Amino acid sequence: MIPRLVTGAGYWSPLLWLAFLIPFALIGYLIYSRGNPGYKKDTEQVKPYLSGNIEPSKEKIQVKASDIYWGFIEALKGYYNILQTIHTGDLRDYILWYLGVGTIILFLLVGGA
Amino acid sequence: MGKLTNFKRSLWVFHASGGSCNGCDIEIIAALTPRYDAERFGIKLVGSPRHADVLLVTGAIPRDFADKLKRIYEQMPDPKAVIVVGNCGTSGGVFYDSYNLVGPIDEIIPVDIYVPGCPPRPEAIIDAVVKAWLKLEKLEKELEGKKE
Repeated sequence: MIPRLVTGAGYWSPLLWLAFLIPFALIGYLIYSRGNPGYKKDTEQVKPYLSGNIEPSKEKIQVKASDIYWGFIEALKGYYNILQTIHTGDLRDYILWYLGVGTIILFLLVGGA
Repeated sequence: MGKLTNFKRSLWVFHASGGSCNGCDIEIIAALTPRYDAERFGIKLVGSPRHADVLLVTGAIPRDFADKLKRIYEQMPDPKAVIVVGNCGTSGGVFYDSYNLVGPIDEIIPVDIYVPGCPPRPEAIIDAVVKAWLKLEKLEKELEGKKE
């Protein structure tokens, strides 16, 4: 016995769902079977049409998350180039920067007072 | 003229313009607009060679476009026919000895029908399409013969 899930909005049965899908699958197969079977595999005929141009690799046409900020990064290239060389990934360097900048701020505050 | 018996569907055309001055292209459009209205016979331009039965090429073909034209031709399903519209595509026209041209078109892809003229009249273009229809019918029969 296939269990029937009863909810406030009605019920859900996998068998009924299957029966609902079968006619669509049949219609899909009928449309597919009427397609041109004479196409040549592994030729230009199976490739997408791009005004006659060669299809670029997926990597070349992929839009990366960093592409959203491309204009920003390009405009501030001089700043980022320096920042990236400073950005070593070594925690000791960062602590040194922290202490150095902290000392400067402290001197300025004490000096100001 | 033969009778259309085998190729029982509307004939769809893909237009590839390679270095054309637009003269032939305008005449192709004229063949589709109300005065001649080729679309009432099911002859219409399509946006992809993969939907097309006929490739209509205009213009003398520049070096950069030759490989693209070849690719467009290869992307068309069989049976297919190629029509060259205008003097430039047929022989190179006034540009025949230009250094950056690789045409005439029959040196790049096989051509079935030539429509000479600068530019040719829409009646001539429609006549060429009808000739292509007969050729496609012949090819379809051959393909069916191969299947049997």
